[in-house]
Amino acid sequence: MTARRFWRRNGATGWALSAPATLAVIGFLLIPIGAVIAGTFIDPRGVFAPYISYFNSGFRTTVLFRTLQIAAITTIISLIFGFMTAYVVSRAPGKLKSLLIVAAVFPLLTGVVVRAFAWLIILGRNGILNQTLLALGITSEPLEMLYTQGAVIVGMVYLFVPLMVLSLVGVLENIPRDVLQASSSLGASPLATFWQVLLPLAVPGLIVGAVLVFTGSFTAYATPQLLGGERQTVLATLLHQRAMVSFDWVGASTIAAIMTVITITIVLAMSHIARRINPMAT
Amino acid sequence: MPDRPHPILIGVAALVYLFLMLPLVIVVGAALSDTTYLTFPPQGLSLRWFENIFEISAFRRTIVTSLQIALMGTLIALLIGIPAAYALNRFRIELPKWLGTLFVLPILVPEIVFGFALLKSFTVGTGAPIFLSLLIGHTLIVLPYVVRVISASLASFDFSIEEAAISLGSAPAKTFFTIVLPNVRAGVIAAFILAFITSLNDVSVSLFLTGPGISTLPIQILAHVEQFFDPTVASVSVLLMFLTVAVMAVVERTLGLTFLAK
Amino acid sequence: MTQPLDLHAVSAHYGTTKVLEDLSLSVQAGELVSLLGASGCGKTTTLRLIAGFLTPTTGSIQLGGRDLTRLPTHKRDIGLVFQNYALFPHLSVLDNVAFGLKQRGVGSAERRKRAMAMLERVGLAALADRAPGALSGGQKQRVALARALVIEPPLLMFDEPLSNLDAKLRVDMRVEIRQLQRSNGTTSVYVTHDQEEAFSISDRVAIMNAGRLMQFDRPEVLYRRPANTFVARFVGFENIIPFKVVARDGDVVTADTAGMTLRLSQAAYGAIPDTFLLATRPDGLVVSTDPAAEGLPAQLGLRTYLGRAYQYQCETPAGHLVANGSLTTPLEAGTSSKLVPMPEQCTILANEGAR
Repeated sequence: MTARRFWRRNGATGWALSAPATLAVIGFLLIPIGAVIAGTFIDPRGVFAPYISYFNSGFRTTVLFRTLQIAAITTIISLIFGFMTAYVVSRAPGKLKSLLIVAAVFPLLTGVVVRAFAWLIILGRNGILNQTLLALGITSEPLEMLYTQGAVIVGMVYLFVPLMVLSLVGVLENIPRDVLQASSSLGASPLATFWQVLLPLAVPGLIVGAVLVFTGSFTAYATPQLLGGERQTVLATLLHQRAMVSFDWVGASTIAAIMTVITITIVLAMSHIARRINPMAT
Repeated sequence: MPDRPHPILIGVAALVYLFLMLPLVIVVGAALSDTTYLTFPPQGLSLRWFENIFEISAFRRTIVTSLQIALMGTLIALLIGIPAAYALNRFRIELPKWLGTLFVLPILVPEIVFGFALLKSFTVGTGAPIFLSLLIGHTLIVLPYVVRVISASLASFDFSIEEAAISLGSAPAKTFFTIVLPNVRAGVIAAFILAFITSLNDVSVSLFLTGPGISTLPIQILAHVEQFFDPTVASVSVLLMFLTVAVMAVVERTLGLTFLAK
Repeated sequence: MTQPLDLHAVSAHYGTTKVLEDLSLSVQAGELVSLLGASGCGKTTTLRLIAGFLTPTTGSIQLGGRDLTRLPTHKRDIGLVFQNYALFPHLSVLDNVAFGLKQRGVGSAERRKRAMAMLERVGLAALADRAPGALSGGQKQRVALARALVIEPPLLMFDEPLSNLDAKLRVDMRVEIRQLQRSNGTTSVYVTHDQEEAFSISDRVAIMNAGRLMQFDRPEVLYRRPANTFVARFVGFENIIPFKVVARDGDVVTADTAGMTLRLSQAAYGAIPDTFLLATRPDGLVVSTDPAAEGLPAQLGLRTYLGRAYQYQCETPAGHLVANGSLTTPLEAGTSSKLVPMPEQCTILANEGAR
């Protein structure tokens, strides 16, 4: 009898089993975030008042563009170096390859605070880099490297290159080897094979990796907070500061709404593009 | 091998790996320093900064809180995530496609927005205790890892084995525990580890959900770094890294390390 | 255009394991040669060596007098047809076929014309603008074939090209491949584990085992006159019986196996050495109930029906043998009878000391 009930496969059992997780996500994630975003539209000053005042503030628009700029530069650098590294890793012989993958996983499993802190030691006024430069006589004064956009970008690249490497190794390994061999058997030089076969086939994976890094660095908090400080305020640090220091909840909600919309839009648009141009899908 | 990458590419990859490893080495070095300020290479080796971690009560407290939250959050996520992952695979046709996307949402929306929203709408709105909010927040951010990793395991599970067991007279619920779960054991272990480490390292959600007397280790480190610039933080970092290494060693022994990269 | 291929004393290693030992093989211009053997026999290694995906440890590979041994793949000018087709998923069918021409600097109009003409020949001109993902297995293999042929290579190589197709299509495609190869007259190397496929398509077949060449000859010779026990078993000689000559009387030789003697005529079998193996398929060993028949005494076992004959599992003092019997008189298990060898279906092998 139990078996018969089991065989009657309607969705009810499925719904029942996924209900706790579904309700948790809806109740504690969708509704709270929805409420925060909705709250920005019922402002007594008018429907779009919080947004108008956000974009009227020169400082806040600067923060938005700074955040976008940092995320974009981080993404491009991570793409270039991540792709080159992933290519080498994917070509490495078995044992070495596992070792290289583990070496990329390890920083990923180390917390963001620890990884940002490492750069604090390196880039500080009395940091290792300054000590080295002074000792080598390259500079006579310690350089101000901390709390610059460059410091934030270095920290972010450090954060996201392993992620890029790992996701691209997967992508490159999914490209069938015999397709590359077919290319060279037809007379394509290694360079021609790279440009005409390998790269086009890797593009969907590159897009996915770029989205991961862009959204990750667009919303990162600890790294810009530690390495950028107030001088390099980004959306995430501004959100925290508005909410927990100034108690400006409407302002914080507005920033949250802007971050959510930009992130979701990019994720949806890019994954749509990646799926459309994915030649492996058909 | 004739298709060895170009030497320039190998050189770049080597530099990238140096870039990845060197900062971690530096943190370890700084943690072992004898000086009261951060420096590398360490001047005189000592373990005094490790002792210092446990002398500062804030660190002691937050380490306990972090471990509690990570363990409880991960277990709850497994409790609700495993049935969900099972349902997604077993009832693939019957359940709508968006349900799978729903469980990925917690890592799709910016974490910091989620933390803020949970504080504003839930904690402040309902007056729920901070610890509970923190636990809910951590459960949700690790839920996507649990569902995804276990789904991946279940995707390669042959459900006809389950049907065979049921046709032999085993009750469906019992079959799940005796047949399905043992076959996705590797996925469950991997999910546990990923979830635990993610929770332990989280900053963005915890940032808003800490209050008087309750904080997590990463938040405490962040606060400490902004006030003092001594090697204690480096020592805590090394402690966290050791924890990661220990966990990875367990993974290596049970599943092989490349498992995590999948 | 077509050129001979010469492998001279080629050896190859994967790490420290030797996968190919001292292989010498000459393929004449315009000939189709199959490399046949079970997986791990070295046939694919040989193909990869010729293609340049592997480098031999020793030996040399020459194509029409050109030394390929150290040449990178893309300079070898070899048309390759892969087992999994290996079509470029991001290029249309036409661009797939035109790819090799593009690498040779052929202008785009000319490229298109030649690729279209080749697609015409394999009957796929209508699908030129499709993505390869949308094609059936047979169509994919035709595209792969067109892609390899359009560059007019002096050597064509096929790596188990039909193994992913269903049985009916496999037979059609191999006829098609053979016709295209014949009309082009391109020297070809064809790797397969399917004996019927190799024998039906090839001018000559190289049977390989454990990295060594066992026999290299025309299919007719391999089928009738295997040179050693490995090839004999491979082509279906199920009965291999060791004999010792006990007496010679002019043409007639009396030989013994496990206490049974058999008189064999050298006129029928050829020269017979003092110790030898008599190898035959089941249809070369005929069941006879005539007590006067010159054969091996046997106890019949399980009978199966083959359509053209009955087949019997037989127990003899020389061990287990398989023999055929006439359709007119089915015999029951347990019947004592004689197994009579048919000289034209048997072959005499030197006893290599195996068994």
